[in-house]
Amino acid sequence: MKGGPIVNDLVIAGSVSSPAVRLDAKRGSMELSGESYPQNAFDFFAPIMDWAHQFLRERPDPLLLELRLSYLNTSSTKCVIDLLDLLENAYRIGRSVRVTWYCDKENDRAREAAEEFREDVTFPFEIRLTGHVS
Amino acid sequence: MEKAALDLYSLRKSFMDGEVLICFNGPFSHSIIEEIGIAVKRYLATETASRSAVSDVFAVFVELAQNMQSYTHRLSGVRDEAGLDAGTLAIGRHGEKYAVSAGNMVDRSDVGGLSSRLEALRSMDKPGLKALYKERLRAPRPAEGGAGLGLIDVARRATQPLSWDFREIDDRYRFFSLSVII
Repeated sequence: MKGGPIVNDLVIAGSVSSPAVRLDAKRGSMELSGESYPQNAFDFFAPIMDWAHQFLRERPDPLLLELRLSYLNTSSTKCVIDLLDLLENAYRIGRSVRVTWYCDKENDRAREAAEEFREDVTFPFEIRLTGHVS
Repeated sequence: MEKAALDLYSLRKSFMDGEVLICFNGPFSHSIIEEIGIAVKRYLATETASRSAVSDVFAVFVELAQNMQSYTHRLSGVRDEAGLDAGTLAIGRHGEKYAVSAGNMVDRSDVGGLSSRLEALRSMDKPGLKALYKERLRAPRPAEGGAGLGLIDVARRATQPLSWDFREIDDRYRFFSLSVII
């Protein structure tokens, strides 16, 4: 495993079909923004999942997930569900985790998608409506 | 001239008569999907389409194109025959709505499974599709791509029942085409 024994920051530049990623160990925050329909979503999300696992294992601090994803294809949706399941399990054993999901207030479909993700979790999950985000 | 070159005018005319906005025929790559995706959004944004409608057309386009890319890639990887790697995709107007259509060669042995999945989706209402989608989201990952989820998502975004056809090409292949109205 790369990354060493101490969780490091991870920054991935965005592309047309993959979100910009900023995982900040000191702040305890994970930010993903953009559209997500990469060639292989599982490969794309693997280091993000690994980072979350490592953070929760090594740090006692709260973890915040901030998502500004204007579109996710079905493979990316599955990956985000996996990430939310990981946070849910951490929450159930007493960790402080929360999600803020930003979506375009004029796009009902994006808001409905965010609400569907929220249906499956019990930790704090805020949907914030904003201007056009992509 | 000996052999007439491609009659671009009649090709263009059939696109325009069919109210096709964007059409692509050939092997799909990830970068082609990205480029067409950008064009789709730009086109629809200049029309009066709502952001939800643009989202739905774009999402259906991405799922169908990625499904086609992975299936045609698999099929042409097994057999090196002309046309197996090509997909045909068209996005156009359909009255007040939009239509996204996709077609590619399929092995005859895949027809049964695909058509029973499509029949099942066509018989379900929106809450049933949502329940199935959520169930599949938590199912173990299939070995080859996530094609199961893609068609459910497409069916959820469609405003009319899905329609499809398997055209007989020879004893081995059928041309599968699927049309989604949004």
